[in-house]
Amino acid sequence: MGTALYDKAIHAARYFLLRRLPTCKQMAPVMSESLERPLTLRERLTLKLHLWVCVWCVWYLENLRTMRSALRARAAQEEEAAADEVESAVKLSEEARERIRRALAR
Amino acid sequence: MATSQVASTNVSADPSLWLERHGDYLYRYALFRLRDPSAAEDAVQETLLAAFQAYEGFAGRGSERTWLTGILKHKIIDHFRRASRQTPASQLGDETLEHPELFRSASDEWTGHWWDTKAPVDWQADPARLCEQTEFWEVFRECLSPLPERVASAFLLREVDGLESAEICEVFQITTNNLWVMLHRARSHLRRCLEMNWFRPDLAKRSGR
Repeated sequence: MGTALYDKAIHAARYFLLRRLPTCKQMAPVMSESLERPLTLRERLTLKLHLWVCVWCVWYLENLRTMRSALRARAAQEEEAAADEVESAVKLSEEARERIRRALAR
Repeated sequence: MATSQVASTNVSADPSLWLERHGDYLYRYALFRLRDPSAAEDAVQETLLAAFQAYEGFAGRGSERTWLTGILKHKIIDHFRRASRQTPASQLGDETLEHPELFRSASDEWTGHWWDTKAPVDWQADPARLCEQTEFWEVFRECLSPLPERVASAFLLREVDGLESAEICEVFQITTNNLWVMLHRARSHLRRCLEMNWFRPDLAKRSGR
């Protein structure tokens, strides 16, 4: 009985917040900027509440973080490849190689 | 005397040998950032030439490749600086990159919230694994292509090389606010594009794209 009431109250609170808080469209730039600068207190609070009621935005922010991690991982991998030889399909073309060789010989 | 001392380090003074040993690596590094084969080839050439001139100052600290990559990084930034001087400023991209069609329209009761069928989904992705998949990077490159040059370049400098906002703003001669708008657009577009073309291609069919 008690839990049903609690669930109802939570549901009402979420609905109220979803109605009152800035929309997902308004939160998208804030989520991007959260990766760039410390958010203001108001922004932090709004974002926290928004993420509490909106799982789609939770995933949006998560997706942005995944992209950043994948790109940083790639950069780290390049650093490693600086130490040892890694075969890759991406190569200088023979023409470019020849052109550079000639420029260096000058 | 000086030359024999330099020659005794682990770096050779022969730029054509550098080309043999590191040319492909440097090219791959530059291509990912510049996205243009001929600009990447030029950057490799400039790097090797600059390295040859700066060779005396190197004195064999660290590995040859790390040293060359350091020079290449500067050449890439120089390229962006030159390019942004040539193209008119305020190339911020436009709002379509933010995919407004994913949000409910003004007439809707829930204006500005995601459409159920177009909302972001859980990618369940492991960045470390993603990073190993060549096909992922092909899709990634495709997704970058609709972005204006400057937007894509700023995004890569920020996310791949981890440059600070101030440095990026200086390179492109833009304000911090401009940079944030550019990064937001780059991220919105890439996120949607990767979701539809890599993480959840099944959704692309559902929402009729």
